[in-house]
Amino acid sequence: MKRDLMEILACPLCKGTLKLTVEEEDEQEVIKGSLYCESCAATYPIEDTIPNLLPPELRT
Amino acid sequence: MEAKNDDEIKKFVRERYAEIARQQAPSCCAPQSKEASSCCGPCAAETSHAQSLYSTEELESIAADIPSLGCGNPIALSELQPGEVVLDLGSGGGLDCFLAAHKVGSQGKVIGLDMTPDMIQLARANAEELSLGNVEFRLGEMEHMPIESDSVDVVISNCVINLSPDKDTVFQEVFRALKPGGRLCVSDIVTRGELPASVRESLEQWAGCVAGALEEKEYLEKIRAAGFVQLEAQEEHLDPHKEETACGVGAPIASIAVKAYKPR
Repeated sequence: MKRDLMEILACPLCKGTLKLTVEEEDEQEVIKGSLYCESCAATYPIEDTIPNLLPPELRT
Repeated sequence: MEAKNDDEIKKFVRERYAEIARQQAPSCCAPQSKEASSCCGPCAAETSHAQSLYSTEELESIAADIPSLGCGNPIALSELQPGEVVLDLGSGGGLDCFLAAHKVGSQGKVIGLDMTPDMIQLARANAEELSLGNVEFRLGEMEHMPIESDSVDVVISNCVINLSPDKDTVFQEVFRALKPGGRLCVSDIVTRGELPASVRESLEQWAGCVAGALEEKEYLEKIRAAGFVQLEAQEEHLDPHKEETACGVGAPIASIAVKAYKPR
């Protein structure tokens, strides 16, 4: 996930602003990390550069 | 929803498209088939070629042979401008995203949203091959879009919204995500007349873009109800394979292209 696309991102449930936590990153993008919604306290993982923004009950 | 509940439908659709994505992914043991199952993928005999939906010029612009699971060409409809932000609902292998990325250029952005992890992986692999810097893929649902309000210029979608058991919410979410004056450009399957109950209740036919399809009038009504204005709908050429399969089960279907605007 590229950092400059953060600005279009929102929590899929409450549409709140997401806060990025980076665990691993290269020059181009975030490889591993998470997105935390400060409004509804949901956390969305970023794995292998892909943010998983499925509502928590639909994640497999 | 009558026979099946929404979660059951979503799960079935997701599994079916995961299967299609895995078939399209390059394999070390077999030559890669570039023929995709179409949006009516569950019917094994069907294949949809990007060549029948897109112009040669468009396909040459991305210099890659990526199959389409769509039923139209929302890119042609959308008249994308350099610098625009585009969201593709149900981005699949990424073909429409890559064509859009070419049109909006380095100042623009394209986001592909898909609820199937295998499709996202496939699209990402295709994007890497093309070295496109302005496309991103996200795992998410079109009923719960992970997109900020008023942030997108154009929402495109190709033969995907019919798969949703909650189309009202999808169109409301599109409306919310679009900037004022932004546009929705969608190709999708609609029905022309009643579907037989056996088709309507079949999960197979749902994943095949038939059972979830609405009458054109109802489909357009849902778009209007979400707040869209200046609706333009035109019938598109329907893939002969799709038509044949639909006829085989007695389902009168058509492919339409719809353009609509969020008021300024």
